[in-house]
Amino acid sequence: MAFEAYSSALDDADIESSEIDGSVVCSATHYDKQRSPAGVVAEYLGLNPQPTFNVEAACASSAVGLRTAWALISSKLHDVVAVVGVQKMTELSSEEIQELMGRAGDVMWESPFGTTMPAYYAMYATAHMAKYGTTEEQMALVTVKNRKYGMKNPNAMFQKPISAEEVLKSRPVSAPLKLFDCCPNADGAACLIIANAEKAGKLTDTPVWVAGLGLASSPMSLAGRKGPLTSFEVTKNAAKAAYNMARVGPNDVDVAEVHDSFSITEILNYEDLGFAKPGGGTRLLEKEETELGGKIPVNIDGGLISKGHPVGATGASQLFALTKQLRGEAGSTQVDGAKIGLAQNIGGIGMYAAVTILKA
Amino acid sequence: MGFEKFGRFGYVSQTKINTLLSYLEKGQIAATKCKKCRRTYFPPRADCLDCRHSTIEWVVLDGKSSLITFTQVFFAPPAFQPETPYLLGLAQLTNGLRVFAPISPAVDKEQLNPGVELNLKVAKGSRNNLYYWLE
Ligand SMILES: [Zn+2]
Repeated sequence: MAFEAYSSALDDADIESSEIDGSVVCSATHYDKQRSPAGVVAEYLGLNPQPTFNVEAACASSAVGLRTAWALISSKLHDVVAVVGVQKMTELSSEEIQELMGRAGDVMWESPFGTTMPAYYAMYATAHMAKYGTTEEQMALVTVKNRKYGMKNPNAMFQKPISAEEVLKSRPVSAPLKLFDCCPNADGAACLIIANAEKAGKLTDTPVWVAGLGLASSPMSLAGRKGPLTSFEVTKNAAKAAYNMARVGPNDVDVAEVHDSFSITEILNYEDLGFAKPGGGTRLLEKEETELGGKIPVNIDGGLISKGHPVGATGASQLFALTKQLRGEAGSTQVDGAKIGLAQNIGGIGMYAAVTILKA
Repeated sequence: MGFEKFGRFGYVSQTKINTLLSYLEKGQIAATKCKKCRRTYFPPRADCLDCRHSTIEWVVLDGKSSLITFTQVFFAPPAFQPETPYLLGLAQLTNGLRVFAPISPAVDKEQLNPGVELNLKVAKGSRNNLYYWLE
């Protein structure tokens, strides 16, 4: 699986393994049967004896992998680095996944009460609904939108449209979230080839530049977080860093990929990234401003809700979609003249967030 | 038995704050306080992150709290499946610190909303396990 993504990235860059001087393998290793997977991934890809290691930041692993590669190249330690995001979740039984999911939070003070990934995001949803009047119907619109674009992405897991009614009627997972408010677990891989400016100029006529890298953390425990829990401070902090570094603001972004692990997450992300004011995420959605043709198209590759969420690969998959957009290769979902793209990737239950800004 | 006795299903056995269990046995819920800078911690911790001193004392909490948010879990980890659906909440104590805890099944879900006043009380499980919940 990693080979398929890696090989197509090599073809695209017209480069061979011998020219890649290091690899960063990104996976949430608690889901892997293979211990220290960088070892076997580098071997299978033909990347020995070059340096390789794992980067783990739960669902944000490969966004942090990009940050790592950028630092390796900026420091001049390396010229070309492959970032390989990969996760094979179907090797685990659903029992095993549920058991792991139960330990997604603070294992001493919160997991002993039966927490789950959806439970944490559901608690943000409850708070947002109480403060801003957000409804389950509005949250369902996120799934409807993302499934619509998933149909146009041959790599997406779900290729079928869905109605708001079907979302609302799906079985409860952690109230107010229902089955189709949640992204599905999936197997997947995505690969990025990162090079310094000199090398990139030789490899391609259409390089995409890393303009802004923001990464932040929040307390792992929900009890350790401040405020009414209607937004993710971690996203706001990562966004601020990325916007500063890229010297752009939310209004300059032409196309975005945001972490829609759950429908409510996408609404919060609009607000935390500055696409909408606090409480204004649902209005942005209802006015179809995040659709293709809107002010800021979001997740028009289908998002995690359609593509599935292969934890370690998700961040790189978002950056793959943005790269296609910025090169004008996104086909039927191309945003005309897209020059600036933003990807936002939340790790775990919101203890990490990465915001990456790419420029054509 | 160590700290795995804490919670509905505990994962961690050895901690620096196992003393919490002896308070729970007495029907009390206690926080820790740094003896040097007087900062209070709940959940309890043994090391002060402000002044980095590790001498603590225990202070009993009144349990009065205000709900910040909650959820009702239908799809649960294996150890918790027999209890579904169950309520989980985040609440703010009178000292400003926050607690993540189950909400007693005796509480009517329809009455729950951010801002609702609840009490943090000691709860006992069927396996001799001890914890606290909001009621
Ligand atoms: Zn202190």
